[in-house]
Amino acid sequence: MKKFIISVLGKDRPGIIAAVTRVLFEKNFNIEDVSQTILQSQFSGIFIVTGPDRIDPESLYTELREGTRDTNMHYHVREMDPAPFTWTECACESFVITTRGPDRKGLVSEITAVLANHNVNVTQLQAVFRGGVEPGKNIMIYEVDIPLDVDHQRLRSDLKSKGNELDLEVNFQHKNIFKAMNRL
Amino acid sequence: MLDHSEILSVLDMLRDEHLDLRTVTMGVSLLSCASDDLKRFTDNIYDRISRKAEKLVRTCDLVGEKYGIPVVNKRVSVSPIAVAAAPFSAEQMLVVANTLDRAAHTVDVDFIGGFSALVEKGIASGDQALIDALPQALTETERVCASINVATTRAGINMDAILLMGRQIKRASEMSADKDGIACAKLCVFANIPQDIPFMAGAYLGIGEADVVINVGVSGPGVVKKAIDRALEDTPNLDLQQISELIKRTAYKVTRAGELIGREVAEHLGVRFGVVDLSLAPTPNVGDSVGEIFQSLGIGSIGMPGSTAALALLNDAIKKGGAFASSNVGGLSGAFIPVSEDLNISESARKGYLSLEKLEAMTSVCSVGLDMVALPGDTSADTLAAIIADEMAIGVINRKTTAARIIPVPGKKAGDHAYFGGLLGESVIMSVNGATGNNLFVERGGLIPSPIQSLTN
Repeated sequence: MKKFIISVLGKDRPGIIAAVTRVLFEKNFNIEDVSQTILQSQFSGIFIVTGPDRIDPESLYTELREGTRDTNMHYHVREMDPAPFTWTECACESFVITTRGPDRKGLVSEITAVLANHNVNVTQLQAVFRGGVEPGKNIMIYEVDIPLDVDHQRLRSDLKSKGNELDLEVNFQHKNIFKAMNRL
Repeated sequence: MLDHSEILSVLDMLRDEHLDLRTVTMGVSLLSCASDDLKRFTDNIYDRISRKAEKLVRTCDLVGEKYGIPVVNKRVSVSPIAVAAAPFSAEQMLVVANTLDRAAHTVDVDFIGGFSALVEKGIASGDQALIDALPQALTETERVCASINVATTRAGINMDAILLMGRQIKRASEMSADKDGIACAKLCVFANIPQDIPFMAGAYLGIGEADVVINVGVSGPGVVKKAIDRALEDTPNLDLQQISELIKRTAYKVTRAGELIGREVAEHLGVRFGVVDLSLAPTPNVGDSVGEIFQSLGIGSIGMPGSTAALALLNDAIKKGGAFASSNVGGLSGAFIPVSEDLNISESARKGYLSLEKLEAMTSVCSVGLDMVALPGDTSADTLAAIIADEMAIGVINRKTTAARIIPVPGKKAGDHAYFGGLLGESVIMSVNGATGNNLFVERGGLIPSPIQSLTN
């Protein structure tokens, strides 16, 4: 069995997932993992599938293009190493970093550069523009994995000083506090 | 993956609604320090407190930082000193109080509680010595807090102890006259005192507790007020049942935060986790007030008609939310209405909406009692004792905790202003319904027998 990762991108409308998964089913693929989201009017989906050894990424790409012509989706297909992969050997803890302040170009790039310098991996990134006429209320939420060997004090202080530079209020909190307070 | 509304609601509570962990209190048993040699005893308790609480402050700061919720106060509570130091005289009790103060400075906690005696049924020699030492001990020390339990539903009301306390409160206020009688702000007289309160001035470690234990006090009147305001903005015609449900859910969230952090602090320190006490404890800051919640509920000012019913609703909803959030809810758990510590409540007293009598009525449905109430300096010891006796009766008959932390302010009269500073705040001096001089009822002394509801076996 081969393992593939497929990304699907295009204008959102009913029937996209039905069309994509019908092709996969007919070609004898099994969906191992899937994630999809809609940003503004755009559909974006990632599928990890296993299927017959005789199929290569190019032919799967063609099958998807042909089989879902009506939906006008864009695909990218790549074969995956079936062995499990982790980006760090070290155990990680999940934190949530939030920034609040006026929107401007380069905020995400500057904040994620600090995270990358500390070997911190972003697992989810969300923008919450609830400022409207109050740009100060724009919020970015970074869910991150931090290896246990990372020095939190240094990371926190680097984030805070970057925040000061960018006129952002930065908060740094373990994920469990949000779970504890919101979930049963 | 977290929903962004889950993240934003927590951030709003922290940023705009004063959510914090009001106190992490480490209970340290001093019973193993027993000795009839004063030097040996004070060395023992100093060493034990300094060793056990050595890392308390640092650990609380680290864990608070990790979750982004500040632990505002770190405190220590100890076994009742009247028991642990039973062999000593009043003069020697002063040395013990000063040792506790020194230990509190060493481990950098803002208060140490447990200069306490349990005298609901009778006064033993250690209790007498401690009570005799109280005025001077509270004047000389900075961080020592005292509590005296004078009544329980099971034992009744010890009127001899209450009269004694009336006199000692009077003395303590006179000894700290230059600071508006502040020594009395560190002294609570209790009925049905819980063994695990983390809040001061009532915190002590009960005899039935483990060697070392972490109890946590969470607050958040601002969070509750904002939750009500927001809900009413969306749905202006919410009824009281719906508001009660909302308060319950808010209390749940706040309690969960306290438990998470408390358990982690306990784990880091390698000690047992005790209880979360969810009490709406105000501070003298706008937006951190219990009085403001009454206004959100629709009462013009706390103390006006409707206030007792509103407080009953609030207190009950908090308890229900807290009880659902944690199996380790303890302490007082409810709403505090300390007059000087809450800007809105002291303002209501100043304007005449809140009288001492109405305050007493309200304490029959909330978790504490007459708390931080400034009284005229010429209030007699008998009258102070009678006020305490009334408050204790409410606790004893209703099988609940009540307390009195009353401060006769030397040289000042009703309507004047008392200033205590910091978290203790400031307040108008409330009038005492014309009572003066002796009170033959309290002077009769003896024990008011335990009520019929104590016969539950």
